[in-house]
Amino acid sequence: MDFGSLAFLIVALPVLAFVLTLAFGNRLPNGGGHIPIVAIAMSFIISVLIFLQIYPNHGTVEQSAHWFSVLNVGIFIDPLAIVMLMMVTFVSLLIHIYALGYMSHDPGQTRYFAETALFTAAMLGVVLADNILQFFIAWELVGLCSYLLIGFWFRKPSAAAAAKKAFLTTRVGDVLFLAGIVILYFNMYTHVLPVVGGHETVYLLQFKTIFENLTLIPTDQLTIITLLFFGGAVGKSGQFPLHVWLPDAMEGPTTVSALIHAATMVTAGVYLVARTFPMFIAAPESLIIVALVGGFTALFASTMGLVMNDIKRVLAFSTISQLGYMMMGLGVGAIIGAEAVGFAMFHLINHAFFKACLFLCAGSVIHAVGTNDLREMGGLFGKMKITATTMLISSLALAGIGIPVSIGAIKLGTSGFVSKDAIILEGAYSYFAHGGVYGSLIFFFGVAAALLTSIYTFRLWFMAFTGKPRQERHAHEAPSTMTGPLIILATLALVFGALTFSPFIHYLETTYENEFFEEIDPNGYIHGLAERAGYHIPEHPIVHLDLAHDTLIMMLPVIAGLLGLAISWAIYHKRMFSVASIGNMRNPLFRILAKRYYQHEIFIELISLKFTYGVLALTSEFSDRKIVDGTIDAISSFFIGGAEVLKKIQTGVVQNYATATVLGVALIALVLSWGVI
Amino acid sequence: MSIVDFISQFAPEVILTIAALAIMLIGLGLEAKEKRALGYIAIISLVLGILIIVLRGAYELQLEGIIADSLTIDPMSQFFKLTFLLVSLIVVIASLKEYDNHPNQDEYYTLIMLGTIGMMVVASAVDIVTIFIGFELASISTYALAGFNKKDRSSMEAGIKYFIVGALSSALLLFGLSYLYGLSGGLTNISDIAEFFSANPTIIQSPFGIMALVLIVAGFGFKMALVPFHMWAPDTYQGAPTVISALLAAGSKKMAFVAAFRVLLIAMIAIKVDIAMVFTILAIITMTIGNVVALSQRSLKRMLAYSSVAQAGYISMVFVVMSPEALTGAVLYVMSHAFMKTGAFIAVAALGYMLLRENSSAKDVDHLDNFAGLGKRSPFLAFSIMIFLFALSGIPPTAGFVSKFILFYSVLEGGFVFLVTVAILNSALSLYYYARVVKYMYVLPPSSSERLALPKAYSLAILVALIGVLAIGIVPEPFVNWAASAANVLGL
Repeated sequence: MDFGSLAFLIVALPVLAFVLTLAFGNRLPNGGGHIPIVAIAMSFIISVLIFLQIYPNHGTVEQSAHWFSVLNVGIFIDPLAIVMLMMVTFVSLLIHIYALGYMSHDPGQTRYFAETALFTAAMLGVVLADNILQFFIAWELVGLCSYLLIGFWFRKPSAAAAAKKAFLTTRVGDVLFLAGIVILYFNMYTHVLPVVGGHETVYLLQFKTIFENLTLIPTDQLTIITLLFFGGAVGKSGQFPLHVWLPDAMEGPTTVSALIHAATMVTAGVYLVARTFPMFIAAPESLIIVALVGGFTALFASTMGLVMNDIKRVLAFSTISQLGYMMMGLGVGAIIGAEAVGFAMFHLINHAFFKACLFLCAGSVIHAVGTNDLREMGGLFGKMKITATTMLISSLALAGIGIPVSIGAIKLGTSGFVSKDAIILEGAYSYFAHGGVYGSLIFFFGVAAALLTSIYTFRLWFMAFTGKPRQERHAHEAPSTMTGPLIILATLALVFGALTFSPFIHYLETTYENEFFEEIDPNGYIHGLAERAGYHIPEHPIVHLDLAHDTLIMMLPVIAGLLGLAISWAIYHKRMFSVASIGNMRNPLFRILAKRYYQHEIFIELISLKFTYGVLALTSEFSDRKIVDGTIDAISSFFIGGAEVLKKIQTGVVQNYATATVLGVALIALVLSWGVI
Repeated sequence: MSIVDFISQFAPEVILTIAALAIMLIGLGLEAKEKRALGYIAIISLVLGILIIVLRGAYELQLEGIIADSLTIDPMSQFFKLTFLLVSLIVVIASLKEYDNHPNQDEYYTLIMLGTIGMMVVASAVDIVTIFIGFELASISTYALAGFNKKDRSSMEAGIKYFIVGALSSALLLFGLSYLYGLSGGLTNISDIAEFFSANPTIIQSPFGIMALVLIVAGFGFKMALVPFHMWAPDTYQGAPTVISALLAAGSKKMAFVAAFRVLLIAMIAIKVDIAMVFTILAIITMTIGNVVALSQRSLKRMLAYSSVAQAGYISMVFVVMSPEALTGAVLYVMSHAFMKTGAFIAVAALGYMLLRENSSAKDVDHLDNFAGLGKRSPFLAFSIMIFLFALSGIPPTAGFVSKFILFYSVLEGGFVFLVTVAILNSALSLYYYARVVKYMYVLPPSSSERLALPKAYSLAILVALIGVLAIGIVPEPFVNWAASAANVLGL
C-alpha cells in the first residue's frame, strides 16, 4: 500500500478534530480532549508509515493540484519534512495527553482542545506545504492560533496584553516574509516564466520549481528575498530583535508554552530557512547574517535567563537561546554547505523533546505548588520524584552534558549534548577553521552561551527541587496522564541524540542531494549555487577533530557545561556565596540583566510610546481627523445629499416612468445620430 | 433535425415544459394543503435540467441551424441556461416555505416554470423573432408573479407598473426589430442580418437604421434596467413578493443580457455604427445613479434593487469595450450576480417570513432596523447576508470579486481608463451601503434577544446560493474557462 496517498489525512484529521471538538466537546468528558488525541495519534501513525516507506530509498511524497493560474496546492514530503512531521505529531500527541490532566479543572477546556487541534493542523500544514504561498497561509494560521492560546485566559489583562504583543511583534516578521514572497514571485515571473512557461504543470511558487530555476534569478535579488524571509523567521522564532514577545507569551497555559512556544511553532522560522536553504546558499550574505543573528541571540538570551525568577520565563529565554543555536547552525552553511541543515534540524528535534519535557515538568511543579516564582519553591525533590528526575534529565540535555567520544555509531551524551556539540564543533568550528567571515565571533557565541545555559538551567533545578521548602503548601506528584508524557520525553532527551546522530545527519543530507538535484546540476547542486554566488564550499567541509590532538577545542563545550553546573551547584545548592551579594539591584550587571537590557524601556517607552505614538501617531491623527476625515465627510455628505435629491426623481407615478423611457429613447437617438453625422 | 434529436438537445426545456403543464393539470384536482407536492415536482424537473446541462459539458459544444436557424446550442446558451435553472431552483426551494398552504400554488409554480422556459429560449435564440417570443413568455409570466400577492396592495402596484412599462418597452423593441426585418429585406437570423448590413452599410446608417438601433437599445435597456429605463425596477422589486424579486433581478434581467450580447455585439461589429458613446453614457449614469440612490435607502429590497441597477451598469461596460476578455468578465458576472443577488433577496425574504410569523401585522419587514443584532438572533442568516453583500461589493474570496476583477481589468486593458475609474469609484461608494447592513447585523444591539428559527427550506436555498458564491470565488478557473468559451462563441 502506498501510504503517501494518505498524506493529506495528516492535516485533515486534526482539522476534523478541531471541528468536532468545537461542536460536541462541551457534551463530552474532558471537554472532548480525546478527539484531538485520537486524530493526532492517527496523524502520527501515518507519518511514521510514510517515513518507513520512503526512508530506505530516500524517496519523497509529492502531490499537487492545480489551484488557479500559476499557483497550486500540494503536499511535499522529503527527509526534511518527514522528520519534522513525526516530531510535531509525536510531541503534540504527548502534550495533548498531558493536557487532559493539566487542564482538567479549567472550564474552557473545550476551547483549549479545539484551538490546539487547529494549531496542530496549521503547523502540519506549514511542514507539508509544497509551495511558499501555502506555507505562508499555514504560517499565518499558526500565528493566529498562537495568539488565541496565549490569550487563552483572556480575562486576565496580562494574558490579553501578551497575546496582543505576540501577534503584533510576529506580524512585523510576517509582513517582511510576505514582501519576500511578493519579490520572489516577481522574479519568478520575469526571469523564470519565459524559460519554463508553456508547461501546464509548472507552478511558479512551488519549492521544486524555485530550486530548479534558482540560477535564473539575480544574486542581489535573492539576497533581498532571503533577508526578508529571514525577517519572517526572526519574528516567528523569537530571534533578536523581535524576541520580545516570547517571554510574555508564557502567560498562556503551560501546555501551550510547551507545544507552541518551545517545540513546534517557534521552530517554524528555523524550518523556513531550512526549507528554502538553497536560496540562502545562493545568497551568502544572508547566511552570514543568519549565523551572526543566531549566535548573538543564543548568547544574549541566555544572559537574561540567568536572573529570571519566573520558572517559565527562564525556559522562555532558554528557548530563544536554543533557537539562536539552530539559526547559527544553519548560518554556517555558508562554508559547510547542506550539512548545516542536518545539524540545525537535529538540534531542533532534540530541543523539541527536552524543552517540551522541561515545560511540562515546570507545569507539573506549578500545578503542585501554585506559583511560577522560583523563590517560593524549593525542596520539592522528595515530594515529586518523577518530575524532579525527568526535569534533571532534560536539564542535563539542555546544558549539553556528555563526553565527546563515541562507541561505534553511538555518541556518549545526552541528546542536547550531541546536537549542540555538532553545531559548535562541526559547524561553527569548521566555519572558523575554513576562515569564514566572523568565524571566531560565531564560535565564541556558541561556547559562551553554552556556559550560561548550564548555569541558568541548574540554577532553576536547584532552586526548585533542593534546599528547604519555602512555602507551607502540600505539594504532590501529578497524575499519570501527566507523568507518562514526562517519562517518555525524558527518555528521548537522554538517548535519542546518542542513538540516531549519524543516520539522522546522513538522511537529512539527502534533502538537497538526491536525483532531482543531481539532474539540475550534475556537478553538485549546492556547490554549484555557491560557485555562482562567488564563494567556495570545500570538498570536505567538516573539520574532523581528534580527541588526542585537539583536546582543548573538543572539550571546550563540555567544560563550559560542567563549569556551569559547578557554579550553580556552589551558589544555589551549597550556598557558598550569598545570592543576595551579587543578585541585587546595586550591582549594575545584575540590574541590566534583571531589567532585560532595558528592552521594555527602549521598545515600549522610547520607540512605541514616545516616537510611534507621540510623534507619528499624533501627527497622523491630526491629519487624519482634520484633513482626511474632513475630505471624506465632505464627499459622503455630497453623495448622501445627492441621493436624497435623486431619490425624488422616483415619483412612484407610472406615467413619469413612461416619460423617462421616451426621454431615454430621445437621448440615445441624439447621441447616435450625432455620432453618425 | 428529427424530433428525437430535438428532444435530446433541448431535454431541459422539454422536461420543464412537461413539468409546468403537469403542475397546472394536477393542481386542478388538489386541495390547497396537498399542493405542496407540486413544488417538489418543480424542484425535480429543475434539478434534472441542471444535471443534464452540467453532465453534458459545454466547452466544445456547437450546434447550429436548429428549427430554421432560430436556435443554437453553444457554451453561451448552456452557461446562461444553467444560471437561469439555478436561480429558479433556489427561488422554488425558498417558495416551498413562503407559499406553504397557499391556495394558488399550482399557478405560482407553473408561472415560474414557464418564465424559466422563456429565459432559456432566449439563451438559445439566434433569431430576432424567437428572441422576442422568449422575451414575452418570460415577461408575461413574471408580470403575473410580481402581482401574485393579490391582497397586498404594493404587490399589485408592482405588477401593474411592471406590466405598463414593460408593455411600452416590448413595443419599442418589437418596433425596432421590425425595422431590422424590413431594412434587411426579410431576414430574421442575427448573423444573416449582420452579414447583410456589413455588405450594405449605407442602409443601417440611414435615419431608419439609426431609429431601429435606438429602439432596440431602449428595449433591451428596459429589461436590463439601465438608467433611465430603470424606473420600474425599484418599485417592482420592492413591491413584488421577495422571492419573485430574486427571480426578476437574477433571472429575467439576465435574460436581457444574453439577448443583448447576441444581438448588439454581433450586429454592432458588422454595422460599424459607433455605439460605444451611447453605452459609455448609459453605463456611467446607470452605475452612478444606482449606487448613489442606494445610499439613502432604508428598505433592504429597494436598496438591493438599486444595487442591481448599479451592477447592470458595470456589466454594460462590455458594450463599450467589446473585447473577448470583457465579454468573459460580463458573462461570469451574470452568473455571479445571479447567485449573490438571489441569495441576498432570499435571505431578506427569510427574515421577513420569520418576522411575520412572530407578528402577523408587522409592516416593512425589510426595513434596515429589523436587521439590527441579526448576528445574535440568527447567526447563519446574518453570516450569509454578510457574504452576499461582500460579494456584491466585490470582496474576495467571493464570486463578486473574481468577476468584477476580470471585467474591470478588461476595461482597463481596452484603454478605457476614464470608464474604469468611474466604475472603481462607484464600487468603493457601494461598500458604504453594503457595509452598513453588516454593521446593523453585528454591531448594533438586537431589538429582542429571542432567537429566530430559520425554516429549513430557506436555509437550503440560501446554502445553495452561498456555495455558488464561494465556489466561484475560491475555485474560479472552471467557471472562467466556461465563460471564456461562451465569450468565444460570438467571435469578437
